[in-house]
This record gives sequence, C-alpha cells and structure tokens, in this order.
Amino acid sequence: MMENSPIENDAVRRFSVFHRFLHIFVMISFTFLAVTGFSLSFSDQGWAGLVVSLLGGAESAAGFHRFCAALFYLVVVSHLIWLGYFKVVLKGRWTGSHTMIPNATDWENILQNFRYIFGKGEPPLFNRFSYLEKIDYWAVLLGMQSMGVTGLLMWHPEAFSAVLPGYAINIANEFHFHEAILAVGYIGVVHMTATHLTPEAFPLEKSIFNGRIARRRLKAEHPGEWKDRYAPTAPSEGTTDPADAAS
Amino acid sequence: MKHSVFPLNRWTPPAVIRRALPAMGLVVLLQFASIGAARGDTDWGKPFPAFESNWFVDMSRFSEGAHTGIDCGECHMEMVEGTKKHPDPEAPGYLKTDARERFDYGRCKRCHLKARERSLEGAHAEAMKQQQQRKRKADPTEAGQEDDAPYPAPTCGHCHSAHYDRSQRSRVEVGRAMTETCGACHPVEKATYLENYHGRAAVDLGHAEAAYCTDCHGAHTCISLKKEAETALSACRRCHPDAGKNFADIVIHYSTQRLADDDHPKRPAILRIYVAGLVSLAFISILLIGFYSHSFLLMLRKIHDKLRRPE
Repeated sequence: MMENSPIENDAVRRFSVFHRFLHIFVMISFTFLAVTGFSLSFSDQGWAGLVVSLLGGAESAAGFHRFCAALFYLVVVSHLIWLGYFKVVLKGRWTGSHTMIPNATDWENILQNFRYIFGKGEPPLFNRFSYLEKIDYWAVLLGMQSMGVTGLLMWHPEAFSAVLPGYAINIANEFHFHEAILAVGYIGVVHMTATHLTPEAFPLEKSIFNGRIARRRLKAEHPGEWKDRYAPTAPSEGTTDPADAAS
Repeated sequence: MKHSVFPLNRWTPPAVIRRALPAMGLVVLLQFASIGAARGDTDWGKPFPAFESNWFVDMSRFSEGAHTGIDCGECHMEMVEGTKKHPDPEAPGYLKTDARERFDYGRCKRCHLKARERSLEGAHAEAMKQQQQRKRKADPTEAGQEDDAPYPAPTCGHCHSAHYDRSQRSRVEVGRAMTETCGACHPVEKATYLENYHGRAAVDLGHAEAAYCTDCHGAHTCISLKKEAETALSACRRCHPDAGKNFADIVIHYSTQRLADDDHPKRPAILRIYVAGLVSLAFISILLIGFYSHSFLLMLRKIHDKLRRPE
C-alpha cells in the first residue's frame, strides 16, 4: 500500500532551525510563566506554596516570572527581526498563501471544516498553515503584547499610576489573569489536541522539534503547500526536493 | 496484518496501573475535597475567634506567653470589687460576664505607653468614645441593654491576649495572626486583602516584605485610609517611595459589595474594574467555549473517520 511505502514515509522539511528554537524558548518560558503566575493567583492552594518555596520564596518566584516574560518577549522581538531579514535579505514575501496572513481561503477552510465535522463534506485543503495554526501564531504575537502591557503595569505601578488612574492597575490585573487562563486553556487543550491528539500524529507530533514531516502527511494535511513546493516539478516519488537539500 | 486504527489501542496498561486507577481517582477527588474544606474553615462573623477570653487562666499556656514572670497583681491590682474580693463566689452570674469588659486596660500603659498613645489616636479609640457617649445618652431605665453596634469597641484585650500571646514571633507569624484577629471584625477587608497581591504574598506565601494590615493602617493607630487621599498615599510610600499621584487610587480591598455603598470614595473605580473584568471574562469564556467545541467535534470526526475508513 502506498501509505506505508518507504518513500511516502520520507521526511521533508517543514520548520527551519531558527523557528524550532523559537518554539522551544516559547514553550519553556510559557510553561514557567503559567506555573509562577498561577502560584500567585491561587496562592491559597497547597501546591502554590510548594512551587513558590521550591523557587526560593515569593520574591524570587516573581523575579523568575519576569525573567521568563522577558525571554518570551525576546522571542517575539527576534521573530520580528527575522521577518525583516526574510523580507530584505531573503527577498521573501510577507503575504500570500504560504504565510501567516489570514486570507479568504481561511474563511472557506473554516466553513469547509465545519461541513466536514458534521459529515457534509471532505476535510479542507490547507495551505502551509491551517487556520488553527494561524490562530496559534496570532494569539501568541498579539496576546503577548497585551500580556506585556498589563504585566508591565503591575510590575511598575508607581511609574504608571503617575500617568494613568489608579484603577488601571486593577484592570490590568483582571486582564492579565483572564488572558492567562485563556492562554493556558487554549494552549493546553486546543493547541495540544490539534497537534498531538489527532490520529495522524498521536502520540507525539515531532515536526516542530525536528523540523521534519512525512511526505504523506504533508500531502494530506497541507496539500496547498505540497502543491506549491512539488507540483511545478511534477514530482516523481523519488526526487530530492530543494527544501531538503537546503537544510 | 490489520493495523490498529489508533496507536493507543495497541497498548494495554499493566495490571498494577489498571488496578490502581480507581484509587488514584479517589486520591484526586479527596485532594479537591480537602482544598474545599480548607477554604471553608474561616469562621467569619463569629467575633474574636483569635482567642477565647475566660476567667479561667491556663497557667501552662500563660507560662509560655510574653507576660510570664509578671505577677497577677501587677496588672490586676488589688483584685477587689466594691467591698468584696474578686472573683466573688457569692455572685454566680459574675463569671458569666466577659472578662474583657471588666478589666481596665488603661493599666497596660504602665509598660506599653507608646502603643497606648498610638491607639488613642486611632479609629478604635474613636469607636470607644462613641460607644461611651451612646451609653450616657441611653435611657437609664434601660441600663444594661446591649449596644446595637455590630461589634463592641475594641480595647487592648480584644486584639491581644495578655495571658497567652507569645513574644519573639516572626513577622510572618504575627502578620498571619493579625489577619485573623483584624478579620474577625473586618471580614470583607480580610477577604479582599487575601485576594490582593499583598495578602497573597504576605499571608499565603509568607513573604515577610509584603504588607500586613498594620503596615498600611498603622500599628495600634488603626485608621481607615479611604477618606483622606494624602494619608493613604503616605501609607503607600512607606514601601513604594516613588508612588505617583494616583497610586493610592489603586483598589486594594476590591469587593463588589462596595458597589451598594453610594458614598464609598472608590465606588466609581470599583465599578470600572468590575465592568472591565466582566467584559474580559465574557471575552475569554466565549473564545474558550468556541475553541473547545471546535476541537472536541473535530477530534470526534477524525476518530470516527479513522475507525470507519477501510484499511
């Protein structure tokens, strides 16, 4: 059967080393941000006291939270710098079907996916990034801005209360906490199930860590990207593709 | 060879795990139950739960207290009530009165002069003055009728136990005990403080540098900070020397109960925080419900497809 032929199981490159590193940094700092932040939000629970004492007390837990936040924001900044490099040096395009920019196809894909969910159609044909992957990306990029602002407000209430009303700090606190719940709730369930808990990837989706994805999976899950990369050369199953060679 | 449709199907957990699963579930449930129980053990509304005052003095506890080594007479003087010795066994009802109402706490100043001077400047001394005025105005024929204030005006003994309070306690220990003591009469303030950063860090996480009740409201002075912005800001600046002009407007004791009080100076701020919080809560709830439904349904469909698809 073709699905299990060795060539179809061959891996092709999906993520560059740089992006894999950024993902690991985000993953680690996000986890520690959540753990340290929620140990303050739920400080009356036993586990929170344990976490904080393991980190050496409330002050160092707070310091660690801010360190992780800075690390996280550094990832955002390095990504933005990379976007500039991609455009200027690599002469890449910021818009188009292979980018994170939402477009009309995504909307069609959402509708198609619901048709598929309710048994009224075939699964949508995604491009390089599915709409859920785009939401993952924008949730981090935009969410990090608001988490950053509300976090800074609570970090330096003295300075900000000179220009903002006092209750702005309280509102920042509400927003920061709610958005943290949203972020952890989203990443913990939606992102995790969409990547690891699909029959194709279970039990572990490794492509964001090793950068590789099996040919047959790329073809099935990102047919748009497959077509962009391989259709012009009318792929015979055995050819080495330039993306593989480049890495 | 027929492939298993789902990799998990190929794996059967060892018998020991299968047998332990119900027990593990029970442990998790008990954990949640104990958290719930721990949350429920604060007895608000019961006045002065910090300690019980009683005519009986437990000498073993007294000997561990700060005042051990001081003779009874040094505080209690002659122990004579009128012409009779105290306590008077001829008057059985006597022992049923609150011991704290009988003791002249003015005597504490012999050693604790500073504390007494400060307390006389504060809100508790003011409450005592008002209580005495009410008593004087009250109809003498109704003497002995209970004051209708929610709590008696506190004297030294309402917050401190002269017999049993220990000395040499750490700042965190004193602060935690203080939260209970003050919270006995100020339950909303206690609850809101414990939800605020200060209470979480100081009481829950034992961070000694965070503020306890008296760090803002004054040790023994005990004043409300909601009326004068200047006083509040100077309290903030004890720990936040760079505090800006609006710093004291940050709501520490945030409670929606305050919305019922039209005259509360922070009511507008609390209303804005409440509305903003509701909006953000609604926002994340809608997003999470939407995304969770999407993920759940999609997963069901994918598993369904995988199971039905001919190999």
